[in-house]
Amino acid sequence: MTSGHLGLPKPEPLLRVSGLSVDYDATGGNVVHALRNLNLEIADGESIGLLGESGSGKSSLALALLRLLPKNAHMASGSVAYRGRNVAELSPADLRAMRGAEVALISQEPALALNPVLSLGRQLVDVLRAHGKLKRTEVSARCTEMLRQVGFDDPERVLRAYPHELSGGQRQRVAIAQALICQPKLLIADEPLSALDAATQAEILELLQRLKRDLGLAMLFITHNAGALASFADNILVMREGEAVARGTMDRLQASTDDYVQGILFPEKSLANSARPQRTKESGAALLEVRGLSKRFVQRRMLSRKEFVMLALEGIDLALQPGSTVAVLGRSGSGKSTLARCLAGFETPDAGEILLEGKLVAKNKAGALPPVQMIFQDAATSLNPRFTARQIVAEPLEIARWKTDAERTARAMKLMAEVGLDPDRAARLAGEFSGGQRQRLALARALAAEPRVLIMDEALSGLDMPLQAQMVRLLMDLQSRHGLTYLYISHDLNFISLFAQEVVVMDAGRIVERTTPEMLGQSVHPATRELVEAAERLHAPGVEATV
Amino acid sequence: MIRYLARRAAHGLLMLFGVTVLMFLLFQAAPGDFLSDMKVSSQISAETIATLRAQYGLDQPLPVRYWQWLKSSARGDFGYSFAYNTPASTLLLPRARNTLLLSVPALLISWLIAVPLGVLAAGWKSRWADRLFAGGTSTLLALPDILIALLALLIALKTGIFPVGGMTSINAQDQGTWAYVRDLGWHMVLPVAAMVIGSLTMILRHVRASVSEVLESSYMRAAEGHGLPRFKLLFGYALPAAANPLISLFGLSVAMLLSVSLLIEVVMSWPGIGPLLLESILARDLFVVIGAVMLSTVFLIAGNLMGDVLLYAFDPRIRSQA
Repeated sequence: MTSGHLGLPKPEPLLRVSGLSVDYDATGGNVVHALRNLNLEIADGESIGLLGESGSGKSSLALALLRLLPKNAHMASGSVAYRGRNVAELSPADLRAMRGAEVALISQEPALALNPVLSLGRQLVDVLRAHGKLKRTEVSARCTEMLRQVGFDDPERVLRAYPHELSGGQRQRVAIAQALICQPKLLIADEPLSALDAATQAEILELLQRLKRDLGLAMLFITHNAGALASFADNILVMREGEAVARGTMDRLQASTDDYVQGILFPEKSLANSARPQRTKESGAALLEVRGLSKRFVQRRMLSRKEFVMLALEGIDLALQPGSTVAVLGRSGSGKSTLARCLAGFETPDAGEILLEGKLVAKNKAGALPPVQMIFQDAATSLNPRFTARQIVAEPLEIARWKTDAERTARAMKLMAEVGLDPDRAARLAGEFSGGQRQRLALARALAAEPRVLIMDEALSGLDMPLQAQMVRLLMDLQSRHGLTYLYISHDLNFISLFAQEVVVMDAGRIVERTTPEMLGQSVHPATRELVEAAERLHAPGVEATV
Repeated sequence: MIRYLARRAAHGLLMLFGVTVLMFLLFQAAPGDFLSDMKVSSQISAETIATLRAQYGLDQPLPVRYWQWLKSSARGDFGYSFAYNTPASTLLLPRARNTLLLSVPALLISWLIAVPLGVLAAGWKSRWADRLFAGGTSTLLALPDILIALLALLIALKTGIFPVGGMTSINAQDQGTWAYVRDLGWHMVLPVAAMVIGSLTMILRHVRASVSEVLESSYMRAAEGHGLPRFKLLFGYALPAAANPLISLFGLSVAMLLSVSLLIEVVMSWPGIGPLLLESILARDLFVVIGAVMLSTVFLIAGNLMGDVLLYAFDPRIRSQA
C-alpha cells in the first residue's frame, strides 16, 4: 500500500515540510509573512493536528502543500516533499494526479466549496473520472456508497440535487465525500467542522477516524477547536502568526504554561468569571411571539412538472420575553435558519403569524428603523467588502433617513467603540478587518437600528473559540446595557449555559423540546440527546463541560 | 417553466404596446407629417391636401388614429405606407427577413468566437497576455461601426473578391437555387464580418471578466484541489458558473447587433430594415417607421426571451425560484 505511483519505497515520510515560508504581496508593496520557517513531517497513517487562531497561517499551509496558493502569494523559502518528491517541481500532469487522488483537500468554506450551478452528482463523478477510467455502473455505485459513508440516507436524491438545495452541513458532507472518493493517502482538512452542527461534527470526526483506520489515511487536521483534536490527533502543532510555537501530544500541551497555548486549549476559562444574567421567568407579555408558523419550499426542474416539497417549518410556536435570551438548537437542516429568516422578514411564511408586542409584524415602513435585526453566520459574505466600516454601520440609518450625515457618522463611531472596534478605523474597508472584527462590525450595524430583538443565526460558529468567548462576553454586556432580547441560533452547545435562559430544540422543522440550559443534560428526546452527546464527545478532556 | 415563460412573454407584449404608444406620441410631437412637403409645392392646392389628409386619416385626433392603427394591425397590415401605397407589412416583412439574414449569423458567430476565446483569455493569466488582450480589445472597441463598414467596402473595392454592397447579383435569380444561395452567401460575408467585429469585443471582454471572477472563487480552488483537468475546470466548471451575467448580456447583444446592423445595411446597401427606416423617417411615412421600430422591439424581446430560457436551463437557482 505504501508504494504509491509517485514515490519511491524509501523510509521517507509521506509528507515533509522543511523550512517553509510563505509571503503574500499586500497592497502598497507590503509583504505579509503568512508562514515562517515551518517544519512538519507526516508519516503514513499519522494524524497531525494543526491548532491556531484565525490568521495564524494554517490555511496558507494547507494551500501551499497542494500548490494552490493564490497568485499574490509565493513560497519564499523551504520545500514541500510528498513521498520524497518536491511538490514545487512536479509537472502539471503529475501535480494533477497527486491532487485529489493522493493528497485531498477539504476546504475551509464548505458553503462555497461546491459549484453552485452543477449538480452534486456531476461534481462527485468528475472527481472520480479525473483519476481513472471507470464503468458507468461502477461510478454511480462508488458515489452512492461514498455519500452513504458521509451520512446521507438518500444518496440518489443528493446526487440529483444542487448545492443551494442543501443546508451548510449537508454541503460540507458532500465536500468531504468529494475529497475522499478517490481514497487519498493524505487528507488535508482545513477547518472541516467549523460550519457543522455538533452532532454532525461528531459523526464526521468518527467517519474520518474510521477512514483513517481502514485506509491507513494520514491526516493534517487544521482547526481552532482543540476539543475536536483530543480524540484522535497523534501529534499537535500549535501555530501563531505563521510560526510553530508548540508541538507535542494533547497531554503535553495541556501541561504547557504558555498563555497562548492555554487560551487556545481552554477558551471558556476566560469566561468562567462573568456572571450569567439570571432572570426570573417573567409572566408578562412576550416581546416577540410566533404562532403556528409554517414554511415550505418547492423544488422544480427543467421540463418536468414534478415538484419536490421540502418542509422547512411546521407549526412553530415561540415566545421571547423582553430582555431574555432564547437559544434555538438543532442540527443543520432542522429549520433554524428558516425560522430566523421568517422572523427577520426575509421569507414570507406560508401559515401562522408573527407578533411584536402583540401586533402583527407587517412589512417595515420606509423611514422607520426595523425593530428586529439579524446577524448572519458569515460576516465575510454578509458585509460588502468595498464599503468602509462607517458606511456599513451607518447604512441602516441612511436607509431610514435618520437625522443628518454628521450625526449618523458620529453614531457609527460610537457603535464601533461599543462593540470594541477602534473608531479610528472607520474609514477602512470591510475587507481589511479580520473575521472576528467583521462579526463585531456586523453586530454594530445591527445595533445601529436600535433593535428590540437581535437574531443571531450561527453568528459565532465561524469564529475560533477564544473569539467566540469574547463575543459572548460582549453580547451579554450589551444585553444588560440596552435591554436587548436575543434569539441565539446555534448547532452546538458552546456557551449556552452561560448565556441563555431558555432552550428550544428543533428537528425536521418542528420544535421538539423546550427546556432550560440546566435541564438540557437530562433530556431524553433523541434529537436533544444527540446534541448533548456530540458536545460531550467533542470536548477535550479537562475542558470544563458547558452543559 | 411554462408559467415562467408565459409571464416573461406577457412582459414583452406589454413592452411592445408601450413602444407603439410612445412612437405615436413622438410623432405627434414632431413637426409636420407626410403631406407637409406638398404644401410647398404650388401645383397642389390646399383642398387636395386637405382631402388627402382626411383620406389618410391624419385629421383625426391621436387616440382615434391609434385605434385605427391597432385595428389595422389586428388585420396584419400594421398601417398603411403613404409613400408606397401598400400596407406597411408588405414592405416590412421581406426587409425584416433580410435583416435577420445578417443579424442571426452575426450573433451566432460573435458568441461562438467570444465564449471560447474569452474563457481561454481568463484562464491564461500573465502580464503579457493581459496587455495583449486589453490592447487588442480596446482598439477594436474604439473603432466606430461606421468605420468598420467603410473599411469593409474598401476591402471589397480593392480586392474585388467580395461584392461591393447589395444582397444579390443582378442575374442571380436565373441560375438555379444552389447558385442563388451561394451568391447570397457571398454577399453576406462582408456585412456579417463587419457586424461580428463590431459586437465581438464587448462580448469577449464580458466573458473574460465574468470567468476571471469565478476563477477566483473558493469552489474553483476546491475543484482544482481535487485534481480536475484544466480544460474541464475552465469549460465545465468556471463557464457554467459564469454564465448567468453572460446570458443577460445575450439579450442586450441582440439590441446592440440590431443597431449595428441598421448602420451597416445603410452603408453596404443591404435591403434590410435599416435603409427602409431611414427613408421613411425622412419621408415622415409614419406607419412604416412605427412598424420598423416595432419589429426591432420584437427581435429584442425575442432575444431576451431566449436569454430567459437559457437562464432557466443553466441556473438551478432560478429554476427553484421560478
